[in-house]
Amino acid sequence: MRTLRNIFRRKLRAFLTIVGISIGVFALVVMGALAEKLTLLVDGGVEYYAGKVVVTGEGGIAGLSAAPLHINRLREIEKVPGVVRVSAAVTTLFDEEPPSVSMGTIPTIQAEDGRAEGYETFVLEYAEGREITNDDTGKIVLGSDLAKQHNAQLGGHVEVRGERYEVIGILEKTLTAPDNSALMSMRDVQRIIADEDLPDVVSASLNPDTIVTSFAVYLEDGQDPERVADRIEDHLDGVVAVSPTDFEEQVKQPLAVFTSIIYAVALISLLVGGLSVINTMTMSVAERTREIGVRKAIGATDGAIMRQFIAESGLMGLIGGVVGLGLGWLIATGGNAAGEASGNVLFLVTPRLMLGSLAFAIVLGVVAGLYPAWHAARLNPVEALRYE
Amino acid sequence: MSDLPMSTTAHDTVIAVRELHKRYRLGRDNYVHALRGATLSVRKGEMVAIVGPSGSGKSTLMHIAGCLDVADSGEAYLNGRRVDTLRGPALSKVRGREVGFIFQGFNLIPSLSAVENVALAAEYAGASRHDATARARDMLDLVGLADRMTHKPTELSGGQQQRVAIARAMVNDPAIVMGDEPTGDLDTATSEEVVAVMRTVNTERGTTFVIVTHDPEVAEKCDRTIHMRDGVVEDDGGGA
Repeated sequence: MRTLRNIFRRKLRAFLTIVGISIGVFALVVMGALAEKLTLLVDGGVEYYAGKVVVTGEGGIAGLSAAPLHINRLREIEKVPGVVRVSAAVTTLFDEEPPSVSMGTIPTIQAEDGRAEGYETFVLEYAEGREITNDDTGKIVLGSDLAKQHNAQLGGHVEVRGERYEVIGILEKTLTAPDNSALMSMRDVQRIIADEDLPDVVSASLNPDTIVTSFAVYLEDGQDPERVADRIEDHLDGVVAVSPTDFEEQVKQPLAVFTSIIYAVALISLLVGGLSVINTMTMSVAERTREIGVRKAIGATDGAIMRQFIAESGLMGLIGGVVGLGLGWLIATGGNAAGEASGNVLFLVTPRLMLGSLAFAIVLGVVAGLYPAWHAARLNPVEALRYE
Repeated sequence: MSDLPMSTTAHDTVIAVRELHKRYRLGRDNYVHALRGATLSVRKGEMVAIVGPSGSGKSTLMHIAGCLDVADSGEAYLNGRRVDTLRGPALSKVRGREVGFIFQGFNLIPSLSAVENVALAAEYAGASRHDATARARDMLDLVGLADRMTHKPTELSGGQQQRVAIARAMVNDPAIVMGDEPTGDLDTATSEEVVAVMRTVNTERGTTFVIVTHDPEVAEKCDRTIHMRDGVVEDDGGGA
């Protein structure tokens, strides 16, 4: 309490210093929440890609916007040494036009042929309803964000690309890509691709039942996914085989760079806040030189003086940290709520981010106060008492 | 020890200093020789005044005897303990527990109330906040400020502020209280009032007072007057 009173002797200065730290912590929390969300999304991708190879046509990412493949290619892939099972999947956009600006995951519709059962380790949890099968034409399972956006309820209907589908299941919230995905029967997704996505010239010559956008390739025990991916690309023309390592190289490493950059930007703004603490504490020590002399005269040791000033700067860090964290949390939560409708759930405020930001603010305050406190502790009491 | 004045080791001596020298550096190659072999002793329960012209070394002598500063050479004893060799936390500890200071400008901490100002000295001496506050209340009661405990220094008159300073100096029941021009900023009536408070404490509790002053009326009210000039004690007014 006394420490707080000492800080607020100069109210405006203390306020501005705390604002400086708050802005830094705010930036750290908001940008950190962005990084946490992206990391979670990528980790979800890493989990999905683990232990298997995903084969798509050329020119797209994970089947989206890539040239469609023919179902016959499944047999070709199965013949590649090291492959134990191949499952076909079709994926397309939930909406006809992808959102022009999207920071999150793009809503998609997916379907699988069911051959992955017993091989796939990536399991989707259901909040309500049941799994979809390929006999469920006209039916749909929605990810939690999509369900919320469409006010979908089990047994109700949602409209996708002009057709109504009965909702038979809603997935558990994962905070990753499945939240923005829908699952349908192969036949329904293949028909959407043939009727809506492909140019008429192409679709006229295609049997929709043969359309596949990706194959999940499961490997024999002990096979190196990267080598199998290379073999698939060697054996088959016009395909891209992505191994877990490829995915990590393509996505995880750039993300690490991106994350480092946004954390660096936030930390720089926090360090600027730290400099303002040094400035404030140095001025405070100068103004209170005589008081420091008095405190020493009445028995304060150098350590006691040092502790007092470090406590003041640390408390400024704590207050700035709490305010910045609160603001950051508000913006992240508000931003997520506002973006939910458009699928832009950008932020994830994790406990480690909250504790880390707060701890960093306190440490910053303490460290910034070290020099002024040391300077105060070293003052000669007689000279300090003479100070005007 | 054998060359020390008798009073240094006598049981009733609170302060004994011998041949103290102190130079201050004011700038490059510019020194002020504040003490040039000052020797003095003060007995327990005395209330003495130190007078002398400006620059005679009064305050420096008081600071060294009160463990606020250290001498370049010479010996200083406080309550029979040699203190001129102490440095750092050891010096702070002795100062906090055995010496109380009263200053000309009151020097109360503006953000703290009267009782907090007094309690702070007890806390520095190791008392818990609860005990320190209880002792501070007793001391403020002693100096007649029972009804001003929670007032901030700016809400008190000069005389009241100096009484708070006296209470603060007394809170650790020190061997000696040192006043550096304690009435310098007060008008005559208030000055008399503050000296009267110090005299009451001196008489009732047997606390030793050493008061550096320019005011002959303050000196007159003390048991003896020590005269200093040019860094030495010219006349110890009948001390040991």
